Amino acid sequence: MEIRQVVGSLVCTQRNPGLGHWDLRVLQDLKGRQYVATDPVDARPGDWVFVVSGSAARYAMGDASILTDLTIGGVIDHWEWEQAAAVQPDATLSAKAA
Amino acid sequence: MKICQVERPLVSTNRIPGFEHKHLLVVRDGSALQVAVDAVGCVPGDWVICVGSSAAREAAGSKEYPSDLTIVGIIDRWPPEPDATDVGSRDSG
Repeated sequence: MEIRQVVGSLVCTQRNPGLGHWDLRVLQDLKGRQYVATDPVDARPGDWVFVVSGSAARYAMGDASILTDLTIGGVIDHWEWEQAAAVQPDATLSAKAA
Repeated sequence: MKICQVERPLVSTNRIPGFEHKHLLVVRDGSALQVAVDAVGCVPGDWVICVGSSAAREAAGSKEYPSDLTIVGIIDRWPPEPDATDVGSRDSG
């Protein structure tokens, strides 16, 4: 599993039925690379999370028929990275959507 | 399989039910930090072997367990550099 920070939500109405109606979150690693993950734990912008990748991501959804390759496995209670966090905990989605 | 060193425990209360109450550990693979499921019971400083892909799921308990990185063994002796500090400090084993 990898450690990522939640940047915001991602709205995607027209989607493959295999994705179901699951929430999608935009995540970022320390190098600024962005990823999209399915989110069964309702993570908030600024949260540090660990993500499950590959086929395990489908089992992490509780339903292996969901077509995902990246799923948030849980929110990390306490995490202090060596560098400053990229997103402040109070960051709003609207601020990020621009 | 990868050789990693255990950094510290990772506490996550809000987690998917599939992870049950298994211990999660932050492990270092070179310069990268990753999170692994602890299937053997290791402590910070241990050098460990981690498996990925579908072997990680089965090693963590069942084929449905949602892990992509599972610790499957503690290395007794592994000298990555001559002055490594924590290696060999375990009493048991």
